[in-house]
Amino acid sequence: MREISFIEATREALTTAMEVDPTIFIMGEGIGKRGGNFTTTLGLYDRFGPTRVCDTPICERGFVGLATGAAMTGTRPIIDFMFIDFILDAMGELINQVSKIQYMSSGRLKMPILLRGCIGIGHAAATHHSGSYYPFFVNIPGFRVVVPSNAYDAKGLFATALQCDDPVIFLEHKSIIFNKTHVPTEEYTIPFGKARIVREGRDATVVALCSMVDKTIVASERLAKDGYSIEIVDPRTLAPLDLATILESVHKTGRLLVVDENFQPCGIGAEIAAGVIDQAFDDLDAPIKRLNGAHTPVPYSPTLEGAIVPTVDTIEQAIRDLLAE
Amino acid sequence: MSDSPQLDSNQLDIKKDQLLTLYRNMLLIRWCEEQLARSYAGGLIHGACHTYVGEEAVAVGVCAHLRPEDAVFSTHRGHGHALAKGVHPRALIAELMGRATGCSMGRGGSMHLFSPEVGMMGTSGIVGPCILQATGAGYSFKLLKKDNVGVAFFGDGASNNGAFHEGLNMAAIWDLPVLFICENNLYATEVPISYSAGNPDVGARGVAYGIPSVIVDGNDVLAVYEAAGEAVRRARSGGGPTLIECKTYRTRAHSEGMRDAGYRTQEEVEAWKERDPVKTYKQRLLDAGLAPEEDFEEIEADTQALIEDAAEFAKNSPWPDAATATNFIYSEASHA
Amino acid sequence: MATEIRMPRLGWTMEEGIFGEWLKQDGDKVKMGDFLFTIEGDKATQEIEAFDEGILRIPPDAAKPGDVIVVGAILAYTVRPGEAAPFATEPAASAVAKPAVPERVTAAPQAITTHAPLTQNAAGRNTEHSVTISPRARRVAGELGVDWSALNGSGRTGRIVERDIRAAAELAAQQPAESVQAQEEKVRATPVAMRMAQEAGVDLAELAAQKAGVRIERADVEAAIAARAPSTSAAQPITGESIPVSNMRKLIAQRMLESTHNTAAVTLNTEVDATALVALREQLKAAFTPRGYSVPSYNDLFAKLVATALQEHPLLNARWQGDEIVMPKEIHIGLAVDTPEGLLVPVLRNVQAQSLRGLADQSKELIAKAQARKLSADALQGGTFTITNLGMYNIDGFTPLINPPQCAILGIGRIVKKPAVVNDQIVPRAMVTLSLTFDHRVVDGAPAARFLDTVRQLIETPLLAITS
Repeated sequence: MREISFIEATREALTTAMEVDPTIFIMGEGIGKRGGNFTTTLGLYDRFGPTRVCDTPICERGFVGLATGAAMTGTRPIIDFMFIDFILDAMGELINQVSKIQYMSSGRLKMPILLRGCIGIGHAAATHHSGSYYPFFVNIPGFRVVVPSNAYDAKGLFATALQCDDPVIFLEHKSIIFNKTHVPTEEYTIPFGKARIVREGRDATVVALCSMVDKTIVASERLAKDGYSIEIVDPRTLAPLDLATILESVHKTGRLLVVDENFQPCGIGAEIAAGVIDQAFDDLDAPIKRLNGAHTPVPYSPTLEGAIVPTVDTIEQAIRDLLAE
Repeated sequence: MSDSPQLDSNQLDIKKDQLLTLYRNMLLIRWCEEQLARSYAGGLIHGACHTYVGEEAVAVGVCAHLRPEDAVFSTHRGHGHALAKGVHPRALIAELMGRATGCSMGRGGSMHLFSPEVGMMGTSGIVGPCILQATGAGYSFKLLKKDNVGVAFFGDGASNNGAFHEGLNMAAIWDLPVLFICENNLYATEVPISYSAGNPDVGARGVAYGIPSVIVDGNDVLAVYEAAGEAVRRARSGGGPTLIECKTYRTRAHSEGMRDAGYRTQEEVEAWKERDPVKTYKQRLLDAGLAPEEDFEEIEADTQALIEDAAEFAKNSPWPDAATATNFIYSEASHA
Repeated sequence: MATEIRMPRLGWTMEEGIFGEWLKQDGDKVKMGDFLFTIEGDKATQEIEAFDEGILRIPPDAAKPGDVIVVGAILAYTVRPGEAAPFATEPAASAVAKPAVPERVTAAPQAITTHAPLTQNAAGRNTEHSVTISPRARRVAGELGVDWSALNGSGRTGRIVERDIRAAAELAAQQPAESVQAQEEKVRATPVAMRMAQEAGVDLAELAAQKAGVRIERADVEAAIAARAPSTSAAQPITGESIPVSNMRKLIAQRMLESTHNTAAVTLNTEVDATALVALREQLKAAFTPRGYSVPSYNDLFAKLVATALQEHPLLNARWQGDEIVMPKEIHIGLAVDTPEGLLVPVLRNVQAQSLRGLADQSKELIAKAQARKLSADALQGGTFTITNLGMYNIDGFTPLINPPQCAILGIGRIVKKPAVVNDQIVPRAMVTLSLTFDHRVVDGAPAARFLDTVRQLIETPLLAITS
């Protein structure tokens, strides 16, 4: 089986979908001729032309609003934000319109918009180009939030997103989008709301998000040498969230750590912890722990930037601390 | 301002029965809005109710050129657009009364009216998004190679919002089939446009985006009709967007129940009432001998009956079932 | 047809408005847009216009300036010329809103639960040792039948975690198989219990595991027998009038068993000459009653005398706590009260510092509340000693059960005239039997007896209590 990168995998799913469905079009800055800052649309402009692969002026609120109207009138827009930080200019359109139109129209209008962008800290991108922001969208009713951690999942989830009639926020962590893994050439979908057990274990459960999955795998391998067996759960989607798989895992291991680069306050870890305490209280052998990136705007200098994100070392220590509880 | 067109139906690109239809539609809006105001005062309508009294010529003049598949996106003052686009008064009044038979099944109320079956793609409680969404409809129609148009109805207040700039610009650069109809009633709630706009002639801004724009007397239904007709023809034939500023006025308060004082004088209101689009149009048709009194009486009787029936229907309609309160958030019922 | 003019809704949340004044009169011709009346708003007066043309008809009981009117209420009518006004014969009662009286939310009467103080070693609660245990470990302990109360936890904070439970279970399982004799010896059970168990076929070892290391008594075996599924050889359940077991009864049962199992109870009896005490009470009655003071009951007097004695014998006011026996300075005496629902023991606070009047008032209130089931949980906690009086039922001596975590309880019998020997003469004296049960783990027989003797002295010469 061949190996391709996360971005290539999404591009494969995208191209296939665009060939089959003529109502799909993409809008974003630099995604036309240039093929996207992160190569999300490389080669698509020549294949599908400027109306289906449309370069926009710098007006995120504008083209998200445009996409809203388009989705209501028979087409399936994809908005490629490049850096997800740019989505913030469009929050009014997203929260007041996109997330609510199906509801306000009592289901007679669908909202098949895919909103994609690159998230995450790294490469000294500094604070305007390093955000993740997914808890907002998980909190608001109406959105699907997808956070793949690898190329195989990315392709399947992207394909599902392009068949979904709900607005999907598809988030791609910058530090993993060029990572390669085995990806089948044929088409496949991965359903939303189904987590993946990345690694089976008995001593503790670690729920890891996006770029944290690979780091947690490395940390777990270190712990395996000391005889600890760590189970890793990758939720893959945050809305809907597969709490059932996490509960099953905690039932087995009794200990839970959530590793998330994004901020701790009101973060995904808080939501997972609340759900687990509510439904698996008697399975818990230790308090639920969360390891997050620091609650700060992202600094520029590499020594500062490196200090604010979970690393393999800090993840390993967090798991050890959890085991000692 | 363009001159009012001659009322010679042979010269005008409009048939006699269409002339009467314009009157009928304006009267429907007028009397429906007055009924809503009455119902609001009677405690039957919850939340907000922004009436369109005085602006009927704009909705009617524009929508006369639209098909059901054309998409209209409106703002908080949208009952007139909904009726002109084909929403039945029963569905409108029932919606404002919060009943299950309303066009949004009680989910939306005045500011979230949806009837996609007739191309009514929503009124909105937020000022601005309708401009962007109409642009988006234009984009869809272009991509799907349909000759439909998107229409945004918005006020002078929206013209100073970023959505105006971004929407008109995108429609311009991509030649989208969109009508941008600015209903300039001189006040955004109580803030006059003379204060809030560097250039209070919204219609003058078209040149900034490179699109055709025109300013018309928004109380003259035929003037609106003519300008809108040209814009729709342009859009359907691939000629791109048009900005039409309709100078008009609302003679009731910004929102029912609000004090309509302190920011404008009673004299100003009375002066605009003299230019009532419904009365003046009827008079012009009568003066030009284009229709006898009986025709108007018939229309008036029909409309009265229609409104009374609609109000009764709405009052007697059932409430939505509380168990459905969280339906339709997602596209499939099975999703969590 | 007449058109109704109603009180308008002026704002999203408006439910009622204050009527200002009529701007037109009854009988005036009005047209659309004419102002008919005003409404007082927060900031200004708002004029309300007519929607219809016609003759204005205002009913005789019309709204007046200052009236509070609900939104939607009919205020007037417009009629066609010549048409009659449709005034209702009854005044528009709906028009003037009643002043909004906020509903008094009264809490549903709570059943008073006499739950044990938190320091009690009820199942799973923190003990004096502050042992913590994870929910999972607690669950697994239940599943495996492990008594964790004496385990050391390996969790970071000393918490007992699953691995500790499993280790303990494994350890227990690894014990070599013992002879039945050894098992019986190992299992702490009274001889009666052992015999009963053997006869009834109850597995003592199993019972011992459930009882987590405490001595099995006859009652336990009886309970085990009763809990068994009925078989042909077992006794058939009986029928008759049944009383549902209340929470209070369950709690009393639990506490009595606890007391029986966890204390080494010994009862001392003595007969005391209460003649002087009776005389004192008569004096108090005579002095207090005309002044309207509560007359101290015998229990109040006994409580005061006991408190005085406890100050000399603090060990009887003590409790076993961890590795220490703690003797508090404050003496809080529980008073056993019989209520229709069962036994309650409200606590008299700081008896050593209270006057007789104070005690009398306090006990009167507590007893009344106890009878009315209105005692707060606080009133039932914190006692350091208890007295229980069965004299009114003509009981002399008895074997009261200690009220844990206290270490002693004084039972009081009836005060009854009996022949006594005074100066070699047989004379009638008011006598009372005292029954002191004490916990031999905390205090030995002699010190307990000395305490009881002090109590006797104080009863026989009550002036000693006032003067010492």
